[in-house]
Amino acid sequence: MSIGKRHVEWLAVALFLAVIGLVYQQAATSMAEQGIASGGPYDNAAAYPKTIAAVLALLTAIQALLQILRARKTKAETGVPLGQLARPASLVLIFAAYLAALGIAGYHIATPIMLAALMMLCGIRRPLAIVVPAVLISLGLSYVFEAWLKIVLPGGLLHLNIAW
Amino acid sequence: MLAQSLAAGLDQFLTPLTLTLTTLGVIFGLIVGALPGLGPLMGIVLMLPFAVDMPPVAAMGFLLAIGVGGSCGGSISAILLRIPGTPLAAATLFDGYPLAQKGRAADAIGIAISASALGGLFGGLVLILAAPVLADFASNFSPPEYAMLALTGLIAIAVVSEGSLLKGLMTGCLGLLIATIGTDEFSTGFRFTFGSFEMLNGFHIVAIVVGIFAISEMAHQVQGNDLNQKSDVKIVRPGFRTLLITLRHWKNLLRSSTIGAAFGALPGVGGTISTFASYAVAKAFSKPEDGYGEGAEGGVVATESANNATVGGAMVPTMALGIPGEASSAVLIGAMLILGFFPGPALFEQRPEIVGGVFLVYLFSNISLLIVGILATPAFVWVLRLKKSYLIPIVLLLCAIGTFALQSSVFDLWVMMGFGILGLLLRNAGYPLAPLVIGVILGPLLENNLRRALLISREGYWIFLDRPVSAVLVAVNIALIAGAIYWTIRQRRERDVRATAQSEG
Repeated sequence: MSIGKRHVEWLAVALFLAVIGLVYQQAATSMAEQGIASGGPYDNAAAYPKTIAAVLALLTAIQALLQILRARKTKAETGVPLGQLARPASLVLIFAAYLAALGIAGYHIATPIMLAALMMLCGIRRPLAIVVPAVLISLGLSYVFEAWLKIVLPGGLLHLNIAW
Repeated sequence: MLAQSLAAGLDQFLTPLTLTLTTLGVIFGLIVGALPGLGPLMGIVLMLPFAVDMPPVAAMGFLLAIGVGGSCGGSISAILLRIPGTPLAAATLFDGYPLAQKGRAADAIGIAISASALGGLFGGLVLILAAPVLADFASNFSPPEYAMLALTGLIAIAVVSEGSLLKGLMTGCLGLLIATIGTDEFSTGFRFTFGSFEMLNGFHIVAIVVGIFAISEMAHQVQGNDLNQKSDVKIVRPGFRTLLITLRHWKNLLRSSTIGAAFGALPGVGGTISTFASYAVAKAFSKPEDGYGEGAEGGVVATESANNATVGGAMVPTMALGIPGEASSAVLIGAMLILGFFPGPALFEQRPEIVGGVFLVYLFSNISLLIVGILATPAFVWVLRLKKSYLIPIVLLLCAIGTFALQSSVFDLWVMMGFGILGLLLRNAGYPLAPLVIGVILGPLLENNLRRALLISREGYWIFLDRPVSAVLVAVNIALIAGAIYWTIRQRRERDVRATAQSEG
């Protein structure tokens, strides 16, 4: 199974449509309730986003039309196999897990694990070539931020911070 | 005004911190420029979170120097590996690589660095001379002119961005909408905040920029299969005599730097186009015995001087009007906003020390480039041996801690990640990302001035046509869009004709 550029283009069109819908929904609900969706340029905070959304809607409609016309004209493309997208998807997932873990485990526990996972994802297989750089990079950057820039990195539930 | 700015800026410039940071910026810029897949924009994006706590001129020196070093660094990998570190160095391949193949790799790199520094200095002179004049002219602008100017900047970027005009305009509009998130300045109402306290001030520009450019780029790069590949490049040591070789091509240097600076000053055009244009012009002026395409010194001089002169040229509208010429300038405007000042005519009047300081750090960064670049080339060549499998995790971690450090906010990290996913989707669907960031930067400028203009005119849109400068800008906007549509249709027709001819033949 593969995913072609055409599918991704439709996904992007769907995203733009969702944004346009959201602008009008918010103007009609939240902004109307606050009393900022009507009046002149000073009071009407909804007019500008609605105008931009209207322009975006027009452009999205043209883009969708072009995509339909192109699909009729051109032959089916050979897309990117879904397997090939596994790595970028895994990177995003690892990073999301890291962000979620930061608040709980703290920087000093979560970071080497995230780095190791990313290195494995990028194809490094020797344990020593993963663990040593992961720990050193994590400590090195925490030294720069904590000792030099005086930034308190997330300590997690255990409040793990190194007093450099 | 110029002398006053430079004199005022001298105190800000002549500090150990500013000089050190500018030199460090050049070194970092050369490294990110040399590493294929990174580049000056990525370098500025990565270091943006570090710069925001620094004094303004030192921070601008650091970031500008990354742009200067990064614009040159791409030539190192282009010459040694035949892989341009950045698109800016693509044209340097034509003669840089053949020159290295002839056994003159050190000369080729030395010429590239010297030409970049001299081109950059020329761009700096253009910046120093042109920006105050433009700022003085723009000091009479009022909301209608500013609104139209912001629109022109956005349309120009969308028109010339990679990918289609339509897609560029769409991402530009998306950027404008993202800029509306938060508290409305006029009515103090909340827009698109969904009751979230963290969204009351909108999204932090650094989180957006890092996500859109850096995270999406890293996710895009892991799609490749050669992450564990190690480049086996030999260490080369260029000498300062390459400066003399470069100066022998002084006519070419001057011409290419002029082309670079002029192209840089035009919103949206950017370094890649200027390098190809200056190479074409240099080749047209050359003699057959110069051997362009086979390792001509002049070819390297033309492309590298143009590409660094573009940086100075692009800073002209950025400093004088607050209108970014390309993505790096947009990020620099974001940095200026965070540092507490907004570029434009008012800055020239109210904060001449910052204007003068920025001018001086820009000039100094090019002098640093010449010295540090030539002395430290072996180190930059060594960096080319770094595997992407280590580089990608390091870049991602830098993005995360850097963005967190801005406000000690994990929310910013989620925003960064969200924009990373958005960037990845748009990039894969063929949408240019630069207009989105420029839309976010120009959004408040456009909206505030649009609404002020409508207030002044009592809601009549004719105000944009009543005023001469504004009317000209409206005409420019229409011409830009019409021209781009005409060009797209013509290109498509030519492509169809070629396809038909191929299928029949």
